[in-house]
Amino acid sequence: MSTVDHAALKVNQTGIILTVLVAFVGGLFFAPLLWLIPALAIVLLLGTFVPQAALFKQLYFRVLKPAGIVKPKPVEDRPEPHNFAQGLGGVFLVVASIALIPSLEVAGLVLALLVAVLAFVNLAFGYCVGCQIYYQLGKRGLIRA
Amino acid sequence: MNPQLWALAVAGIVVLAAVALEYARSLRARRLALAGAGAGAPAPEPYILYFTGDGCTVCRTHQEPALAKLDSVRVDRIDAVADRELADRFQVYTLPTTVVMSSSGKALHVNYGYAPAPKLARQLAEARTLTA
Repeated sequence: MSTVDHAALKVNQTGIILTVLVAFVGGLFFAPLLWLIPALAIVLLLGTFVPQAALFKQLYFRVLKPAGIVKPKPVEDRPEPHNFAQGLGGVFLVVASIALIPSLEVAGLVLALLVAVLAFVNLAFGYCVGCQIYYQLGKRGLIRA
Repeated sequence: MNPQLWALAVAGIVVLAAVALEYARSLRARRLALAGAGAGAPAPEPYILYFTGDGCTVCRTHQEPALAKLDSVRVDRIDAVADRELADRFQVYTLPTTVVMSSSGKALHVNYGYAPAPKLARQLAEARTLTA
């Protein structure tokens, strides 16, 4: 068992929620802001496979934590379920981005909103849906959980 | 109506449906677990079966501190991934799951997801009343 800084996860979740909200609300007035959704998809997927490129986590480790703005919260934990959840969020946002073509715009926005809602549930209540899916896949022997 | 408002309405319906489905699933799992779990090991006092796993963060950040608040209660920790047979008997579909067992080894309460200490204490008190 390793240690995971849960403050970094919280910053990541906050970043996801804020980005989707800015894209969603800002998109009402300035349509190009919807490009934040595919950008967020890239950020999440890149961060899943290359942790050094995880934008929000790097913001925490390089700026917020050294400046004392966010205090670290190390917890004995495994990073894999959280990475899996982040990757799943990224995949949903890729599908949302594809759906953001004019005729399917509502479907794309719904998917993006759901990713933000799940990030909020994780941030506010500590319930990680992606981690539960990870557990279910592990229980069925589909991944090593 | 613009796409954002449509999306908000649809997302709201999806979230409500998911909450309702989750509630129905927990009710069904609880009913099946209480009916089909069979008898556990008898013990001098009511005890708790605590299903957890390596990947369960809420277990460490919330459930374990809550269990630690219960004084002198036996807690049997079970790795739900390793002991699938027992996890399936109690319909464990989410972690953590806690089961309050009577001293005769009968499952009395099944809590899917985080169960706060006062809730577990109440269930244990009820289990003690049944035993007395």
